[in-house]
Amino acid sequence: MTALLELEGVHAGYGPTSVLHGVSLEVPEGGAVSLLGANGAGKTTTLRAITGGVHWSGDIRFGGRSLHRMSTEQIVRRGIAHVPEGRGICTELTVDENLKLGAHRRHNDAELRKDYDRVFAYFPVLKERRRLSASTLSGGEQQMLAVARALLMKPRLMLLDEPSLGLAPMVVRAIFEIIRTINRENRVAVLLVEQNARIALELSSHAYVLEVGRVAVEGESGALQGNESVRRSYLGY
Amino acid sequence: MQELFQLVVSGLAQGGIFASLALALVLIYNAMGLVNFAQGEMAMFATFIAFTLISRGVSYWIAFPVTLVLAFGGGVAIQRLVIRPVERAPVLTLVIITLGMATLINGLAGVLFGYLPRAFDSPFPPSSVGLFGVYIGYQDLGVIGMSGLVLLAVYLLLQHTTVGLTMRAAAHHPEASRLLGVSVSWMLALGWGLAAAVGAVSGIMVAPVLLLEPNMMQTTIIYAFAAAVLGGIESPLGAVVGGLMVGVTVNLAGVYLPFVGGDLQLAVALAIIVAVLVIKPNGLFGRASGRRV
Repeated sequence: MTALLELEGVHAGYGPTSVLHGVSLEVPEGGAVSLLGANGAGKTTTLRAITGGVHWSGDIRFGGRSLHRMSTEQIVRRGIAHVPEGRGICTELTVDENLKLGAHRRHNDAELRKDYDRVFAYFPVLKERRRLSASTLSGGEQQMLAVARALLMKPRLMLLDEPSLGLAPMVVRAIFEIIRTINRENRVAVLLVEQNARIALELSSHAYVLEVGRVAVEGESGALQGNESVRRSYLGY
Repeated sequence: MQELFQLVVSGLAQGGIFASLALALVLIYNAMGLVNFAQGEMAMFATFIAFTLISRGVSYWIAFPVTLVLAFGGGVAIQRLVIRPVERAPVLTLVIITLGMATLINGLAGVLFGYLPRAFDSPFPPSSVGLFGVYIGYQDLGVIGMSGLVLLAVYLLLQHTTVGLTMRAAAHHPEASRLLGVSVSWMLALGWGLAAAVGAVSGIMVAPVLLLEPNMMQTTIIYAFAAAVLGGIESPLGAVVGGLMVGVTVNLAGVYLPFVGGDLQLAVALAIIVAVLVIKPNGLFGRASGRRV
């Protein structure tokens, strides 16, 4: 089976500063993959390269087709939902309007209504606050909104950039539970960037550890969890 | 009392004209943090198009919407051809470009249509109607009604359609919008088109009052700046309220403040700009904003 997303020797950076020095990784169809590593290792830049937010060379293929020279919106419309660092919530808009933005290119109303029901079943708090400004939501609720909005895009792949950042452990657990459900039940592949390696490895089946722009270690999540030297030197727990 | 009421109504009519042009300024300011100094000249040029159509025998009520569509197209074209290549330039560069466009459009209108002021016939009868003991000109009522309709249409478009939603999102959160599949660059183009059309309404409304010539909008644009600043330059609602307030204020000041008269009305608008910037820089409806860097 070919991978849904493949990165092959990707170099990327900002102006003269290069951040990625030949990153290769794969996300299988419906799979869950973690991308771990210290601050500044290039995790966020990897995600940004995938959705065309930085200049890159090498090759990135999605569903077998190269994403080379495609604009962000073209890439996203092929079925990649990217929940960026800081969640990308439009705070001038209401919760409902944020969700509508996620769904704005969907045309099958019956199917969309089902997806709304599903999203509100996952995150009942969003239904209660539909009419409120998104700026009134707590950090955890904003993260929920970002994931819900991504789900309404009906993606084949979801890129999640540090969904646990700044959230209380209980909230993190709840959100990861939903991400797991989205991955298993809706067959949406997930590429998860995390500092919190422990919780990421519990979710994913495969993981890559980045170190200064290169893949330092990769393997089954279970194997990495069980390997004490990897855990100590790269994952910090 | 009666006189006051009549002055308020004609002030509202003027204010509707200012509001349309101010709204055009706000639409572009919202989309890219830029004050479009060519907005008035764009409106003037559109008015010449309407004038040309009407003088060729096209009915006013057909020429009006046709002009708005053409103005919309012109606005989109300006964004694609002139603004987009320099989108990432510093805002000062963009300001200079809009100033250059203003001069260019002004000169182009002079070459194409000449500098001779022309009478632009109003579609509304010159008579007036008695309401509650005051006489209100059909001209004023018509202008109030037309600007009201246009402003309502823009409101509905922005607040209650998917395109409007994506335009607002693209304006405030371009990066996040791109990740949701919004084509931010085309949303900007739509913003320019919409602004050009809304601005054109003000030109067509004001032409019967001022006589049509290439410099026609050069005072109206000042009133529109005052309206936009008063309302809070980021707020479409503020532009409308600001426009009406400036219209009424200027009209009342012209009559009740003897030293203002007809000659210093523009100075009242400038005084409003200065006063707002000193006392409440975010305007009536503006959010206190952190600066985007």
